[in-house]
Amino acid sequence: MGKSGLSWLATTLIIVGAAITAGHPALGTITGLAILLLGIGTAVGALPVPGQFSEDYIVERRVAGQKISNTLVTLSSAAIIAVYAAGYHRTEPAADKFEAQTARRSTAAPIAAGVAAPTTAALGVEATPTVPRSLVPPPRKDNPRPATQTIQKAAPAPSPIEQSPQPPSAPPAGPTAADPVAEPTAPAVVTGQTKYKDGTYLGWGSCRHGDIQASVVILNGQIVSTAIATCATRYSCSWIANLPGQVVNRQSPKVDYVSGATQSSDAFSDAVADALSKASE
Amino acid sequence: MHCPKRVSDDGYLRSVALMGTVVTIQVVGHLVDRQQLIQRDAAVERAFDWFRRIEECCTRFDAQSELMQLTAQIGVSVPVSAILYEAVQFSLAVAEESGGAFDPTVGCVMETRGFDREYRTGLTIRTALEPSPTVSYRDVRLDPERKAITLLRPLILDLGAIAKGLAIDLAVRELRPFENFAVDAGGDLYLGGCSPNGETWSIGIRHPRRENELIHSLTVSDRAVCTSGDYERQSPTGDNGHHILDPRTGASVGEVASVTVVAPSAMLADALATAAFVLGPAEGIRLFERLGVDGLIVSPTLERFATRGMS
Repeated sequence: MGKSGLSWLATTLIIVGAAITAGHPALGTITGLAILLLGIGTAVGALPVPGQFSEDYIVERRVAGQKISNTLVTLSSAAIIAVYAAGYHRTEPAADKFEAQTARRSTAAPIAAGVAAPTTAALGVEATPTVPRSLVPPPRKDNPRPATQTIQKAAPAPSPIEQSPQPPSAPPAGPTAADPVAEPTAPAVVTGQTKYKDGTYLGWGSCRHGDIQASVVILNGQIVSTAIATCATRYSCSWIANLPGQVVNRQSPKVDYVSGATQSSDAFSDAVADALSKASE
Repeated sequence: MHCPKRVSDDGYLRSVALMGTVVTIQVVGHLVDRQQLIQRDAAVERAFDWFRRIEECCTRFDAQSELMQLTAQIGVSVPVSAILYEAVQFSLAVAEESGGAFDPTVGCVMETRGFDREYRTGLTIRTALEPSPTVSYRDVRLDPERKAITLLRPLILDLGAIAKGLAIDLAVRELRPFENFAVDAGGDLYLGGCSPNGETWSIGIRHPRRENELIHSLTVSDRAVCTSGDYERQSPTGDNGHHILDPRTGASVGEVASVTVVAPSAMLADALATAAFVLGPAEGIRLFERLGVDGLIVSPTLERFATRGMS
């Protein structure tokens, strides 16, 4: 473990060095954690630990008397720290920008469940589109659903979704979504990077168990909220009840989250993308 | 974990479609003043940003991603970003630890089996590689000094499980100051501290066969919970295979219906769930116990295999 201890020390020193050169005090937290980790890493490998039972994974491992298993646990922590340290300066501008933007927004900033704050700020220093790539509307050639008008008709039954676009509530000056030739990357002001028209849009997503309809509310060209509008799957949508809107009540086994819900989540994601394709037309 | 009677009534919940799934972040309480509210929102923003950056870097479905650019260069030592280097390094460590049951070089086999469609955009990605059954994680070399990766033979790296886990773990780092929070990336979870009810988080494990039921539930705190099931994505080539393949044979594995792992990091939990799928129940549980993580493996006949801490 001596060698491993040295490498831990090295990692820590690198991070400390980076912190000093960058002159950023916030990195001190990372450094502290790295040192803590170093301590754990060496202690587990080299120091005798009393044989008492503990739920702690590392100690439990020690009791089992095996060294190799600890490597993956510590290695994963080390990897997270390394990536985090390397990427800190890239996320920071995003946060600053977000704070500035939040300050500009009114106090009506949505806090409620399921409300999506504008996504622009999160995109960091790169001049990327307003919406994450995964939301870029997919070509839906093989969509089993009929044309848009049917979709619109199907909506009101399960949940009252406003069909008409909301009245554009006085968008701020500068290029807005209403201006189709607005250059998305031009302005430094985040509100100028929009490409969606205001309103409430519905979209379908499919998985092999059925379809999910999502509604997306665009205000001032940005996604304000998303919700499940219709759940036409063979099974209940309780699997994704933690998705925004809380449209469907969770079923009897009362839990906070469900592990292993990929199917419906993908369908929901597709549905949001479908809705956004309408918003950007 | 000791939880107060009730943590808070207020809170924050937000979902964004990312990484081919829906990512939900919940932060419990912490609405003392406006400054804290702003800090919390900024932290959540940074947390979501990690998902975007890791997806950009590690996706197999974009020929321009750093991962795909790397696989275009064979026999060359390519300096890579911290994200890609750490993800590959960790995936090789898991491969080593699991005796090749988990293998990030399985990507080439996946393409030939029809898992080449980006299910969100419908785009087909196929490289001109001849799948070689002998390609393995041993054909990937790391240079820790230069943070460079060398692929010794033509291969495709699939960092799917690792990348999503890493994104969750980085989001967790951003949210750590808020103590009580949850990150849900399409059923891969990390639960920090306590739930709004003032209890440790209660987590249901999806039943692999009856979709509106849970097969198990557990309470966790400061742990990742990841479940991998054969119900997730069926092979489009119609041979009834699912998306987890045995790297050693290239075929879908059939001994396991779902695997749940509870571990300190999502990256580890996700990778081990995939490994256990290939190893099968008996060997899978042995791997978990050796690594000091908890796990539940359900067979297609709904027989359960669990580590001590899971019951």
